[in-house]
Amino acid sequence: MSPEPMWRTHELKDSYDVVVIGGGVHGLATAYYLARLGITDVAVLEAKYVGFGGSGRNTAIVRSNYRTPEGIAFYDLSVKLYEQLAAELEFNVMFSQHGHLTLAHNERGVSGLVERANMNQWLEVDSRVIFPEEIQELVPELNLFGHCRFPILAALYHPPGGIIRHDAVVWAYARGVDRRGGQVHQQTEVTGIEVRGGAVEAVVTNRGRVKTRVVVNATAGYASTISRMAGVPLPIETHPLQACVTEPLKPFLNAVIVSSTLHVYVSQTDRGELVLGAEMDDYASYSLRGTLGFLEGAALHLLELFPCLANVHVLRQWAGLCDMTPDYSPIMGAAPELRGLYMTVGWGTYGFKAGPASGFLMAELIATGKTPPRLEPFALTRFAADRLVGEKAAASVSH
Amino acid sequence: MTDHNAPAAAGQFEFLYNGRPVRSAVGQTLAGALHAQDEHILSRSFKYHRPRGLFCCSGRCPNCLCTVDGEPNVRICITPAAPGMKVESQNAWPSPKFDLLAVLDRLQAFMPVGFYYKRMYKPRRAWPIWERVIRQIAGLGRIDRHNSGGRYEKLNLFADVAVIGGGWAGLHAALAAADAGADVVLIDEQPELGGHLRHDPDLAQDAWAGMLRQATDHAGVRVLTSSSAFGCYEENLLGIRQGNRLIRLRANQVIVTTGGWERPLVFENNDRPGVLLASAVQRLMHLEHCRFAGAAVVVTDNAQGYRAARQLVAAGTSVAAIVDVCPGPPEFAADIPVFRGHTVVAVRGSRHVAGVEIAPLAGGPSQSIACRWLVQAVGFTPASALLYQNGCQLTYDPACDHAVVVQYARGMHSAGAVNGTHDPHAAALEGRLAGLAAAATVRPHDVSLAALLADARRRLDDWQARRATCAAQYVAESPAKKKFVCLCEDVTEQDLCDAVAEGYANIETLKRYSTVCMGPCQGKMCQAAAIALCARETGRTIADTGVTTARPPEQPVPLGLLAGRAVRLALVRRTPIHDWHERAGAQLTDAGDWKRPRVYSSVEQEYDAVRCHAGLIDASTLGKFDFRGRGAAEFFEFMYPNRFANLSVGRVRYGVLCDEAGILLDDGTISRLQDDQFFLTTTTGNAAAIDSWFRWWLAARPGLDVRMTNVSGSYAAMNLAGPRSREILQPLADIDLANAAFPYLAAARCIVAGVPAVVLRLGFVGECSYEIHVPAQFGLAVWEAVLEAGHHAGIQPFGVEAQRLLRLEKKHLLPGIDTDALSNPLEAGLPFVVRLEKPDFIGRQALERAARRGPRQMLVGFRMPDGFAPEPSSLVIHDGRPCGRVTSSGYSPAAGAAVGLAWVPAAIARNGDTIQIQVDGRLLAAVVHDAPFYDPAGDKLRS
Repeated sequence: MSPEPMWRTHELKDSYDVVVIGGGVHGLATAYYLARLGITDVAVLEAKYVGFGGSGRNTAIVRSNYRTPEGIAFYDLSVKLYEQLAAELEFNVMFSQHGHLTLAHNERGVSGLVERANMNQWLEVDSRVIFPEEIQELVPELNLFGHCRFPILAALYHPPGGIIRHDAVVWAYARGVDRRGGQVHQQTEVTGIEVRGGAVEAVVTNRGRVKTRVVVNATAGYASTISRMAGVPLPIETHPLQACVTEPLKPFLNAVIVSSTLHVYVSQTDRGELVLGAEMDDYASYSLRGTLGFLEGAALHLLELFPCLANVHVLRQWAGLCDMTPDYSPIMGAAPELRGLYMTVGWGTYGFKAGPASGFLMAELIATGKTPPRLEPFALTRFAADRLVGEKAAASVSH
Repeated sequence: MTDHNAPAAAGQFEFLYNGRPVRSAVGQTLAGALHAQDEHILSRSFKYHRPRGLFCCSGRCPNCLCTVDGEPNVRICITPAAPGMKVESQNAWPSPKFDLLAVLDRLQAFMPVGFYYKRMYKPRRAWPIWERVIRQIAGLGRIDRHNSGGRYEKLNLFADVAVIGGGWAGLHAALAAADAGADVVLIDEQPELGGHLRHDPDLAQDAWAGMLRQATDHAGVRVLTSSSAFGCYEENLLGIRQGNRLIRLRANQVIVTTGGWERPLVFENNDRPGVLLASAVQRLMHLEHCRFAGAAVVVTDNAQGYRAARQLVAAGTSVAAIVDVCPGPPEFAADIPVFRGHTVVAVRGSRHVAGVEIAPLAGGPSQSIACRWLVQAVGFTPASALLYQNGCQLTYDPACDHAVVVQYARGMHSAGAVNGTHDPHAAALEGRLAGLAAAATVRPHDVSLAALLADARRRLDDWQARRATCAAQYVAESPAKKKFVCLCEDVTEQDLCDAVAEGYANIETLKRYSTVCMGPCQGKMCQAAAIALCARETGRTIADTGVTTARPPEQPVPLGLLAGRAVRLALVRRTPIHDWHERAGAQLTDAGDWKRPRVYSSVEQEYDAVRCHAGLIDASTLGKFDFRGRGAAEFFEFMYPNRFANLSVGRVRYGVLCDEAGILLDDGTISRLQDDQFFLTTTTGNAAAIDSWFRWWLAARPGLDVRMTNVSGSYAAMNLAGPRSREILQPLADIDLANAAFPYLAAARCIVAGVPAVVLRLGFVGECSYEIHVPAQFGLAVWEAVLEAGHHAGIQPFGVEAQRLLRLEKKHLLPGIDTDALSNPLEAGLPFVVRLEKPDFIGRQALERAARRGPRQMLVGFRMPDGFAPEPSSLVIHDGRPCGRVTSSGYSPAAGAAVGLAWVPAAIARNGDTIQIQVDGRLLAAVVHDAPFYDPAGDKLRS
């Protein structure tokens, strides 16, 4: 029995109803939900291969315990879509909802957790503040009562949070697009966007020019570069974010552990590897190279939480690019002054967990021409209108 | 156990292997000792639990991973044995010889590549159950919850030239560079220099010993042995592991002479114990004094295979055949039959090699040869990871069947086998050339060096024109299922073919889907074959197929090594008065890295002392900056929303810093001590961030005459507050503190208790108060002098807890606690600090817009009629929605009520408005209170 191909390869046509730039989770999900709404003449253009960028470099944490009502409602939709994704796309994306713990090591931190718990509970998202005895039951390996510089005082426990197999999500969506009649073009790099009379007319690629009236910018790392091709500047600064993975160990850690004070987070995959990361680098750069300083810092902070991991070996490290907006919230919606340009960009360090919701709502926007209420707070115009979305305080290390 | 395998060296001891004592000799690795004891199944494979034994003996492959003294995933083939060590097998139960999960090997048909993506997700609740099973059997080593590792240390080194790899090419490179005057560090992962010459004695040249001595004796060469360079980071920063020491070596030039590792063939059962790489066999024979009892077959395409065969025969092994991949007629080499143009297609035997099947490459019937060992010598994969890591460009060269450097990154060089140069003469030439070239960069004007360089380059070119190669075919053609490309993850040829057919045709996608190259070896054993297969299945060339990205670390590195000793020595900052606080029994709290007194006696007592008499608080943790230069005032005009150009000498002013979006970052004071000298304070928590914030903006103004010095740690500071503070301080100070002479917001340099000080007249807690900054070394003396002077006035030290309550009564906000990433000063109750009439300052545009549209939310004071204080972070509910939060709260004796600060919608922010606060699921009413709760007119702090 020969294996069934996940997706087909096509000649690039000279026109499409919709062109999505970016073959990551946001672009593919947008194309998939568009197809589900009956818009199937869609091309997803990916410069490298599906999942090359942020979708293959993130640490695959999914959660909805955000701080603002806008953020919580949005990510809650994403968690719910992720819960149904394997069945819908007939591909096991391995969503492990073993819980997500955000640790606090000082009074100010605890107070921040209480605020998030209050807000989450108001919006019926399952999260609550728990204290060392209960934390210990969930994660016995955690250094809760031993000597440590910044003792753990409390944690925000978010049971529906967890990790997912990020590549599987990308592949499943790509297959979904293909099965529903859309086209995924890998190795297809967009080099220009043609605009005429205040509307998008075509995109230019390394494989030729493609006419279209609708372009969706679903890129990361270079979102501002792509947007500038259409003459739309974005308030985005790009920073590298690093992560590393250890050799496989017999699984012992089910929950995702995050500590903003110690700038570190860690989870363990079903293969047994520990995945750990830190804050993004504080300088703007397009570099995808890891640094030794990152490894040293991440190791130091992880061992404060888990002294028993000193003998565990780091296997590889990598970096991804994060498009940061001034308020650490994404930009989604239609471009204000250019007909036919849509964007789901500025996804910073929190993009992967939002992919399904972003794609779902963007597809609705494109199909109906009306901005769904859950997208409204994230419009590009919010910066000029001084209506920021305050996730900065809650984002930091909690990707 | 067999007698003839007894180690030759004296000085024997025992270690424990799975609870059983094993004899070992000094200098032997754990794996060598186990081999000598005929212990050949060391582990079980990741997915199918197949038996695995020694294979590479160089710390690359996953086959010998064991838990040693509680450390999981240790490569025992490069770990020296030590008395009493506890070695335990992994991923096998009850033992590696008999493992119950070996049944998985028979279920291969049900576990094709990526099977877990296609199953176990329906119905939805099935996955958590399946996942529990998977998490029971996944992973390799087990962590020991009570083991927090050894002692680690870090070392920083600098060098003109770093040479990585002490083999033949590396030795020549190091000596050439050092002779030319460069300061060289030579790094080798083995305990001794020499590279593969150490275990391939037939290759060892007469000159070898001499070279070694020269290198170790040379004043210009520092030798680091047992040191593995695991990363080559930007600007030639090398991460090196030497035992439990992390060395960070910054080198001007890096010469990579890392050689290569042998490439395994892919055939049926190629993972059986008894199948070894030739270099592994040579290491075991020559470095570990091990023998190989029984017959062996050597498969090869080069001279190394023939050398290995000769050495095996000399050590008493009967070599049944040499299978030479290169075409030619059958013949005998020293009585050993040679099958030319043949390759190995399968290994027989279930737990150990019992025989091999060989077949002509051109096609034709296969034949069996009985043997216990199959030795492979079919060429090398260059160990070029460090070159890739540091940005060198490599391209696949079909002529030599591996990647070669086409463009070096700045300061990078390579020589020897990593370039595919195996001939000792040529490797020496290349090494010399690289050494000279590196030295020439460090000493660019040396004429004699240029001549030497030109000569070496010419001789190398001559040699290169004459070389020839014969490349093996790495994957035997047969329909067999158990042909393993990847030993770490049990990925077979079939798996890769299926994955490509499913559409995972990009080499990176193929890696992520099939997990090839993702295991402990990170592709060292499998990448070449995986790429070749991907190319074959997609019909592309190997060059077009590309490679997976080489990511550091090149060898796995323990977290403890990376963390260093600092885990146990985490930074704690103590103020100069810290010991006094401890003696006084203060309860301490963390403020960033600092320890601060939270409370000494009780908050009530301390509060009363400040309000009625006087209190003294240690404020040394504040960020403190000294600004000098004629441009300083102009700079502050731009940095702060309020005016500073008009600040008179001898005055201090409150200021807040905003970002470009008008968001409040921090607050503090700015004092003008002279026309061109200012003294700034920031909050404790933001001191470091504000330091970089100032530097960031200063960097854009190179012409401005501003010099900024962070003096946070150089000064101790204390705040003397309360109605009697003036009478306490006056006798200690050499200036007139009378209100007329030194009023509210005055600043002066003077002498306090005999010590030069900066004194600021402030009012954070709402009383007449003096902030006294003195050099850190006099902090304690001044503190004690002030307490002494205030003894009769009822002075008491107070902590941050009382301070918070005191300032809350004054409605003075704490940045970061009462504000967040959406707070601007207009809405935070500080409109007086925003001077929109100024020409420009950071955040002006945003604040102007905010001023035009009016406030949306406001930070307001509130009091609770029923006396109960809602805890900070409680939600403010309006119109049935959460739309604000409490930021600070507490019981105010002055107000006689619970009071607090909260963010509320502007619509309900007027004095007397009622707001609803959610407490334990109930809504409590609170009343907005405009004025401070204490001394609303501010008479006290001005008095």
